[in-house]
Amino acid sequence: MDVSVESVLGPVRPGRSPAADFLVRLFRDKPLGAAGGVIFLLFLCCGIFAGVLAPRGFNQVDLVHRFAPPSLEFPLGTDRLGRDMLSRILYGARISMIVGFCGAALSTVISVFIGVVAGYLGGRLDMTTQRAVDAWMAFPDLVLLIVVISVVGPGMPQIIVVLGLLYGIGGSRIVRGAVVSTREHMYVHSAQSIGASTPRILWRHILPNVMPVVIVLFTTRIGAVILSEAGLSFLGLGIPPPAPTWGSMLSGSARTYMYLGPWLALVPGLCITIVVYSVNVLGDALRDLLDPRMRGAR
Amino acid sequence: MRPWKVLATILVSCATLAAAENGGAVTPQYGGTLNIGTIYVTLSALSFDPADWNWKVNHDAGMVYEQLFAADLEQSAGQGGPYSFTSEGWLPPGAIRGELAESWEWEDPLTVVVRLRRGIRFPDKPGVMASRELDARDVVWSFERIAASPKASPGYYDHVTSVEARDDHTVVFHFNQYNAEWDLRFGYGYYSAILPRELAAVDTRDWRNLVGTGPFRLTRFVPGSSSTYERNPDYWDRERMGDETYPIPFVDRVIYRTIKDQATQHTALRTGKIDILEVVPWLAVEYLEQTTPELQWARYLSSVGHFLALRVDREPFDDVRVRRALNMAIDKREIVEHFYGGNAELFAYPMHPDFAGYFEPLEEMPPSVQELFAYDPVKARRLLAEAGYPNGFRFVVQTAAIDPDGNDMLPLIAGYLAKVGVVVEIQPLEYAAFLSAMTTKTHAAGYLMRSGIVNPFTSLRKSFASGQTWNPSMWADPEYDRRIEAAVRERDESERQRKIRELTAEMVDQAPYVWLPTPYNYVAWWPWVRNYGGELRAGAVRPAPIYARIWIDHELKRKLGF
Amino acid sequence: MRTYVLRRLLALFPTLLFASIIVFVSVRLIPGDVIDLMLAQNDISADQDRARVEAALGLDRPMHVQYFRWAGAALQGDLGRSLWQNTPVVEQLAERLPISFELGVLALVIALSVAIPIGVYSALYQDTAGDYLTRSFSILMLAIPGFWLGTLVMVFPSVWWRWAPELEYTGFFENPVQNLRQMIVPATILGLSLSAVTMRMTRTMMLEVLRQDYVRTARAKGLPEKLVVVRHALRNGLIPVVTLVGLQAPFLIGGAVIMEQIFVIPGMGQLLLDAVSQRDYPIVSGVFLVVGASVLLINLAVDLSYGLLDPNVRYR
Repeated sequence: MDVSVESVLGPVRPGRSPAADFLVRLFRDKPLGAAGGVIFLLFLCCGIFAGVLAPRGFNQVDLVHRFAPPSLEFPLGTDRLGRDMLSRILYGARISMIVGFCGAALSTVISVFIGVVAGYLGGRLDMTTQRAVDAWMAFPDLVLLIVVISVVGPGMPQIIVVLGLLYGIGGSRIVRGAVVSTREHMYVHSAQSIGASTPRILWRHILPNVMPVVIVLFTTRIGAVILSEAGLSFLGLGIPPPAPTWGSMLSGSARTYMYLGPWLALVPGLCITIVVYSVNVLGDALRDLLDPRMRGAR
Repeated sequence: MRPWKVLATILVSCATLAAAENGGAVTPQYGGTLNIGTIYVTLSALSFDPADWNWKVNHDAGMVYEQLFAADLEQSAGQGGPYSFTSEGWLPPGAIRGELAESWEWEDPLTVVVRLRRGIRFPDKPGVMASRELDARDVVWSFERIAASPKASPGYYDHVTSVEARDDHTVVFHFNQYNAEWDLRFGYGYYSAILPRELAAVDTRDWRNLVGTGPFRLTRFVPGSSSTYERNPDYWDRERMGDETYPIPFVDRVIYRTIKDQATQHTALRTGKIDILEVVPWLAVEYLEQTTPELQWARYLSSVGHFLALRVDREPFDDVRVRRALNMAIDKREIVEHFYGGNAELFAYPMHPDFAGYFEPLEEMPPSVQELFAYDPVKARRLLAEAGYPNGFRFVVQTAAIDPDGNDMLPLIAGYLAKVGVVVEIQPLEYAAFLSAMTTKTHAAGYLMRSGIVNPFTSLRKSFASGQTWNPSMWADPEYDRRIEAAVRERDESERQRKIRELTAEMVDQAPYVWLPTPYNYVAWWPWVRNYGGELRAGAVRPAPIYARIWIDHELKRKLGF
Repeated sequence: MRTYVLRRLLALFPTLLFASIIVFVSVRLIPGDVIDLMLAQNDISADQDRARVEAALGLDRPMHVQYFRWAGAALQGDLGRSLWQNTPVVEQLAERLPISFELGVLALVIALSVAIPIGVYSALYQDTAGDYLTRSFSILMLAIPGFWLGTLVMVFPSVWWRWAPELEYTGFFENPVQNLRQMIVPATILGLSLSAVTMRMTRTMMLEVLRQDYVRTARAKGLPEKLVVVRHALRNGLIPVVTLVGLQAPFLIGGAVIMEQIFVIPGMGQLLLDAVSQRDYPIVSGVFLVVGASVLLINLAVDLSYGLLDPNVRYR
């Protein structure tokens, strides 16, 4: 069996811009990932253009039409207050995207910073950082979430920051693990021996080598943050109503009475699942394509 | 939701039960385990010691200890009587019987003499006490211990001068003034447990030490999961059915199951993992009926009022016109009809229809009160303009994050208010933080909450007397306080009822709250649960006498496949 | 190596000390303290009641005094008593910890037994249909919100077949069958959702490692393929997997709150959630201490296993 790198990537026509080249490779070699990317973009567009696409306001109450099943008038049915589920899902996409992106970005930056610095420099700094991370990790998340959200009040920025910190500090161990492993490899030793500066080594050798891990981390985190927001809604600590988050649509009465209107719980649940799934397969494809050792092999 | 169907089911089930039991054709069976999702199914016991002054202690420890008075369950609707026994802390005067008390009488206008039943024994409890007969000194000891607790509610026993044991079976209560709640406060109430004085030597807060004369013994307690009560084989009381009397309890074991998740509660009921579920919201009823047609049902009007409290101590709600405008801006009939599917009463708070004589229906109230329940956004706008808010205003409403009904209801209210220019900013808080915002008086201008109605006096006093903990509108009117006290001290019942009716109408008219409809809930049970008609409380939050009388039809249970 | 372990073990103490102080203080900072809650029972609460209740619970002393008392007792194995029920905290923990631990171990075993084969398979057969299929399954399980899947499993089988998982907890040693009838469904949901992360990391590292020089060398030497994969590649590729096990540890011991709630499992997560919402400080601190210590020990084991798996890693 041969997992030949060359056969995976194939020849690239010269003269195309790197970005276009990259996209071509993505679609040609990673159809699953590309599909994930397209789906994700679709949801992103839904979020961005929710105001145009949504047939009604996300909070437009119409008690007479409560629990209406899907129909031409309400393509995805209505909820307990007669609000149009399609509109709420579209606006919900916006919130999920914002929370997912911002939370994941924040957490990745934190993870990379801590992981690279501690992992590469090692020694006392590493030891101290790791103990601090340990202490943080030993914290039951729940206490942290309840404390922070009780003190600062529930809201989107608070949730982004809390989830960013939570995942960021935890994820730093993954980055550090990869850095430690890379550091021990020969080429770094050689770079050190020819007197390269630390930032240069970090930038040229360490960072590219841990990039696959970082990318996987980032994409995982988008999904994880979206899922966590839903979980927080389940505990009643999510983004407050009437904001139509998928998480809050899925918890509370919609989940309890899912048999009354299966569309109530199925639609937001499927949306979360599809977005998290697509962002994850996209991340895996990106990882395969961006792997520096693959590039080096050509 | 088809109400007639529910009603029919109730009638049929009541009729069958009544026929079966009153006809004496059926002999009750002993044994078996009763798994109950109680009305507090999401809440585990917080305390087993009455001296902790926890409102729920009667529900949990009240299975083990007894009190002087309890409900006369022979008069329950399920037995063909007039009373539903679903109120939180109210037994109508005609529905009270002596539990540990055999009889009681007023010796003079300020002295009640209670004679205890003879031969009632505390069971053996290794490490705590040997079995012995209950006597009057236990009653005195119990009263004094509860009254002296550091957690005691100030003023709760101010009407009592002293309690003394005249002889082994006679207890005398000396009052310094008449209090219409005397039989609740130390009788069938929240803090009236009769415990053996041997407990003075042990840690009473540890559930393992709990001992009492009641129908059950607490044998296992897993916080957040279950409380297991085993039958007390030496229990004194008997159940009369037809011409026979039977020792009770019938079942070997009662288990309170704590299940926080509603979907799980309904599944547990549907799969027979619990025999009784005492709180089923109307939304779930039709579906449960369809999927599990064997279930028996009873409907009760919740004894918890729903409202949006407005802080009258700050702008803009210091102006009664603004408060009234908010009431008129909300279509409450539409909420009853479409949010609750007809399963709610427009007006059942702060006075509950169960409180016969004290409750005055909305139709008989003054027009200015009725106006608050009629949807009139035009008048609401005009009132707001008169009060200086022609363009409306913005205010924060706090709500408990884990309150599914509240979370559904608030966007609806916000929608109505937006139509008259009033913008609501919703702020959900974690429950303890939410509750303490009110108790420390740091809550927002709007506060969406629920509050137990308890009884005709408590409801008004705890919500509207100056400085009270549960007074989220911050109502403070010394004259009103005085009148409530006067009503509670009024000895003549019809005069007392008149005063309470008057106070209620006045308070509703002042609109310190946006009064919201009170929903109905349902009790569901499997047909093998016998001698039961959906009664919830035989004293203040105390179901023990009800559970002690239930028996399980084992054959029917087997026949249904369980 | 031995000094490293010793140093790490010693380092546990300052870490736990630091974290326990933070927990101790922060739960007392949440708006609405235990006294407020206890007094909320009463009709009228006045300042003097507050002082009396505070004194009765020993909460009237300065916070640092309270902390040192607690820490001093904790060192002797006494974690105090519940503020509400007055039962020893240690007792409650002893009851809950095995439950959570069982759920966690079951979930982990399910996760690993799904994740590692899929991870290795999809790395070896990268970009084949099999790769996409197995990977999609694993990622799908990650993407489904656990509480949603849990509710679906709770609701629909009960409607269709009147079947539901066991909902009353029985100890494993009391009755293993009964116990598993309750635990297996939530453990599977948890395990499958965890599997994707581990699967992906396995796959990532496998791909990377397969291309590294020593694997190529091994191949060039003509070693049988299986041996190459197992001895070199998989062993090295397990590093992130092990990291993840460490990362999931707190989740597995105290974080399954939602599953515990839906499937009525009286585990640590529910204990913590209840304790926080009742502001039962000694229980919160106790849960934290136990979960924290377990997590730290697991992390230490994780760090040590780097050395066993990757001879390049040195401990200093």
